[in-house]
Amino acid sequence: MENESRVQEILKRRGLDVTPVDNFTEADVPEPTERFTKLINIYYLMKNTVDMEIPYWYNRFWWENEGDVPVIRRAKAYGAALSRHTPTIWPGEKLVMNKTKNWRGAFPFPWVDASFFNAAAEALMNEVDAPPEAAADAVSIVGAGGGNVTQSYGNVVSIAKKFGMRKEEIPCLVKVSKYWDNGSVESVSDRYSKLVPEFKKWKAYRDSVLIMFDSWAIPQGREVINYYMPLQYGFDRIIELCDEKIAETLGEAGDDGILGMSRGYYYTAMKETAKGMSHWAENYAKRAAYLAGLESDPIQKKEYEEIADVMHNVAHKKPASFREALQMTFLCHLGVVNEDPQSGQSIGRLGQVLQPFYAKDLADGTTTEEEVIELLELYRLKITSIECFASSGVTGGVLSGNTFNNLSMGGLNYDGLTAVTPLEYLIVEAGMRARTPQPTLSVLYDEKTPEDFLMKCARCCKLGMGYPAWMNNQGGMNYMLRQYHDEGMNIYDARAWCLGGCLESSPGCFQPLEYNGRVWMIPGGAAPTAGTGIHFTGLPKLLELVLTNGVDKRTGIKVFEPHNKKLETFEEVWEVWMSWMRELLEVSNKINNIQMDVWRKINPPVVQSLLKADCFKKGQHIGDCGARYNGSINFESCGTINFINSMASLKKNVYDDKKYTIEEMTDALMDNFGFKTAFETGVFSPDRREATENASKYEQIFYDCVNAPKYGNADPYADSILKDYEDRMLPEMLRLRSYYGKQYYMCQISVSTHGPQGAITLATSDGRLAGTTYADGSMSPAPTTDKNGIYAVFESATCYDHAMCQNSQMNVKIHPTAVKGINGTKKLLDVIRAYMRKGGFHVQFNITSSQTLRTAQQKPDDYRDLMVRVAGFTQYWCEIGKPIQDEVIYRTEYDA
Amino acid sequence: MDDLTGMIFDIQSYSVHDGPGCRTNVFFVGCPLRCRWCANPESWGRKKHLMFSERSCKWDQGCRACENACPAGSIKFDEAGKPSLNWVICNECETIECSKSCAANSLKQCVRFLTVEDLIHILLRDFANWGSDGGVTFSGGEPLLQHEYLLEVLKRCHELQMHTAIETCGFAKQEIFLSIMRYINFAFIDVKNMDDEKHRWGTGVSNEPILSNISSLAQSRWEGRLVLRQPTIHGYNDSTENALKVIDFMNENNLYEINLLKFHRMGGTKWEQLGTPYEYADHGDMTDERMKELQELYLQNDIACYIGEDTPF
Repeated sequence: MENESRVQEILKRRGLDVTPVDNFTEADVPEPTERFTKLINIYYLMKNTVDMEIPYWYNRFWWENEGDVPVIRRAKAYGAALSRHTPTIWPGEKLVMNKTKNWRGAFPFPWVDASFFNAAAEALMNEVDAPPEAAADAVSIVGAGGGNVTQSYGNVVSIAKKFGMRKEEIPCLVKVSKYWDNGSVESVSDRYSKLVPEFKKWKAYRDSVLIMFDSWAIPQGREVINYYMPLQYGFDRIIELCDEKIAETLGEAGDDGILGMSRGYYYTAMKETAKGMSHWAENYAKRAAYLAGLESDPIQKKEYEEIADVMHNVAHKKPASFREALQMTFLCHLGVVNEDPQSGQSIGRLGQVLQPFYAKDLADGTTTEEEVIELLELYRLKITSIECFASSGVTGGVLSGNTFNNLSMGGLNYDGLTAVTPLEYLIVEAGMRARTPQPTLSVLYDEKTPEDFLMKCARCCKLGMGYPAWMNNQGGMNYMLRQYHDEGMNIYDARAWCLGGCLESSPGCFQPLEYNGRVWMIPGGAAPTAGTGIHFTGLPKLLELVLTNGVDKRTGIKVFEPHNKKLETFEEVWEVWMSWMRELLEVSNKINNIQMDVWRKINPPVVQSLLKADCFKKGQHIGDCGARYNGSINFESCGTINFINSMASLKKNVYDDKKYTIEEMTDALMDNFGFKTAFETGVFSPDRREATENASKYEQIFYDCVNAPKYGNADPYADSILKDYEDRMLPEMLRLRSYYGKQYYMCQISVSTHGPQGAITLATSDGRLAGTTYADGSMSPAPTTDKNGIYAVFESATCYDHAMCQNSQMNVKIHPTAVKGINGTKKLLDVIRAYMRKGGFHVQFNITSSQTLRTAQQKPDDYRDLMVRVAGFTQYWCEIGKPIQDEVIYRTEYDA
Repeated sequence: MDDLTGMIFDIQSYSVHDGPGCRTNVFFVGCPLRCRWCANPESWGRKKHLMFSERSCKWDQGCRACENACPAGSIKFDEAGKPSLNWVICNECETIECSKSCAANSLKQCVRFLTVEDLIHILLRDFANWGSDGGVTFSGGEPLLQHEYLLEVLKRCHELQMHTAIETCGFAKQEIFLSIMRYINFAFIDVKNMDDEKHRWGTGVSNEPILSNISSLAQSRWEGRLVLRQPTIHGYNDSTENALKVIDFMNENNLYEINLLKFHRMGGTKWEQLGTPYEYADHGDMTDERMKELQELYLQNDIACYIGEDTPF
């Protein structure tokens, strides 16, 4: 504001103190460091790649060790792949290492999923022989969509419409994949799944897209890494510890006739794993030393030498500086994500884990705040560059190209006091200066969290990148005690929880790190994946099937046996819906259990089995319940709010007011209320309606459906149905048993599945038209149906206890003018606090005007760095699909 | 007092420009003034009425759901299929059936009838969301026009210790005005023109009761914060002479805060629809330079002057 200081003076002189700070406006956010800027400008030009280096070496050693115990064979193959793939260092880097030799690199994991490549083998081989396209055409095609390689060009073959592979590697891909044709997790589990009597039902769920995805598709992730072992011991000492343990346990069963003998094999495998990780780091040290030898620029030469020192230390010793510790955590992160296709491999509470190192360096005067911020900026770029290669359905449909490496902050420490550390302020600062989609940040909001930290996080939110998201710490702790109490969860471990994946609350524990002459209780993950189980199930689709007597009208598939009920009461609708839900849960659970059991038996994860709390202590890998908590398997739902609103409309229009019969309602839905479908119009946003000649026939019923009570208006008519739904689902979850033999829980996030699942769902009785995207998450109102403002939305959302479930998800779009200035920051925090105090689990914000998004949809090239919040993660606007773009634009915008 | 009913145009939550903190803004129907530049002329009357939001109308997608909805034949479609309303008919309408035909909510009945407890129920729901310095703002239309209802609402707010703010034209009998202000913590009061003749010309009423109300409030023991407001319109009240008179008035009453709002022409089409030519269709615009000159003038006279949404809270 102009004349601000003069206004201030007058008010002060007149005795009016209106603001808590000296000025009304906020200080500008400093620019990122030159080093970061230079590197991200290169990143923007980089394309997504896949190459065969790691799969090649993995396979070669897998073959060599045929017949070995699976966990050891796996560790040898993976260790060899890490030890042998090419280290690449770019000039200007301080923090090094990549997934592959390429910057935006990924590779296939045929040991998990080979059918995708085998089915395409012939087509891929044909592409090798095809003449290259003209270069000009090629560039113009690939230019759109950020780093996505959507079509083949030149010597690059497009795979899954996202990655480019060099033609000369295709034969290797085809050969390596072929080997796994009958031995991948996918094909082995498929063999056993088919023996399940209800397999046909499962197939119908999948073919009608009532459920999306198999568990094997991304068998790891949605969990929190634990960095304790390498930070406490370093790899040389871990290898010694393995030797000691091997001497102690090999050949000994102890009292455990089933798993006792496995311990010796486990430690043998862990030794191979640690050797591979160490060797990988050492290769980077050697590479840096080599580059230093070639370098003539003295500054760059010195930087290479520093990298060589750091990487050599990381390869062998426990870290002795903040930089080494950060590099070590990043090494572990890459080690984990390179093992299986995965998303949602969370960093956890990094600012609490690394605080001891930061504190010492700062006290010793060996680093400065600015230097640490620079490293954290570079860390953001490194995490953003992590790509995941899964089938195109998973990559685009679920992930929107993001791998959700979530970093949590705040919460409580071991002593029950605020866990916020000075380093966490710098993590937020780096997130404000260096704007990248990853790592996304999450604040574990607790009443004990310092106000200035919350203000800083709210300020960061206003920059429009969508992070940090806000989670309820007490809610998360309550959920931990509720879900894991039979496994011994106590108040101390409950305090160590954080987000695995975008929103998957995941258990943790504190472990004693000895550093700088004292013991620090640092948090880390203590459970396997919190997100393999029954995958995204479209709740409105299930209701559609109830109305169509079990037949999917879109495909003609008979998904359920006809119920042949007249649906005379609302309760009868509930009963049929719940009985089919129960069937779906039981059948899907069996199939997913087989998939994940095969995964853990033939493909046991070795890096997580080294890192996760208690595995090393027990001598058991993740698959054998080595981790401290194992009840981490979930049921994922999608379209909650469209389902609730549809039920509310049925109750109102058909059963309470009796305005229409259930047949009349079904007829209107089948005919899409007389409008063209989203596929006919090409617009997936709910605000587009194109009439057909039948429109006039349905005008009244459409009006009544649109105006039926809706969630998000503090209207108990609709909200009580939501509460009823949650109450009905909870006992079902507690009845199911996962492959770990533990109870399930509800995971209510949509990720990006509200696009594809909306696409296969006909019109719904809430007035949503066929094919349009569902409301995202589980707590966001359907676009434009929230007529009473955001406080009413909060009231509706908190009509049930969120701590009953792993999560809930609320997206809020706010116009930037509503949170202008430092007063605006305070007001944004007021909104967040209000929701948290009511018991809301999660809220996140898009603070970018719809107008900007519309323009960016038209001119993607002008908005290369624009980011939006989708359903639990941030992504570059230009790299997400159109249905999701439409949904984000159409969300209700609160402009105060 | 249970049977007292307020006519409420709209309730907005998370309102951040109408008083300190996060607020809930309650818009009352009806206004005693008839400002020639008014952006909401349809809300002058104290009765329920129709709002037509052209932006959300789906006519371009072939929708004609409202075609036969109006028994009085107010809705007509042009050749392209775009509906328009005859506001002479709509203004007299008591039933507003057409809103029931529109799934897009473009045709909407705007007024709700709420008892004191209905409104308090909504405010209580929002109470926990406001944060430490937020509260409720009564706005309009003109909230003082429904003073009996407002007073009862305010008494309940006071009991509940809700922070209260008002946006008012200040035109009311003094005893009514002061009885309301007793329960108000923060007030925006409009001073449209210091010249009585011009005030009558522009708003239809004298400024005498308004100025007298402000003076009596300023000289009372009222402890709230008062910010004067002026919708600044070129050729009407943007003269240096008028500003100097405002400054004198403020100095006499020991007032030192004013908020100048730059004229905008949002109500233009509504006037045309009402069948009245809009006088301010092509004039009244303020330049940023003139706004700054006026601000400078106030600042030089030791008065804190804020433009637009810059009022600090």
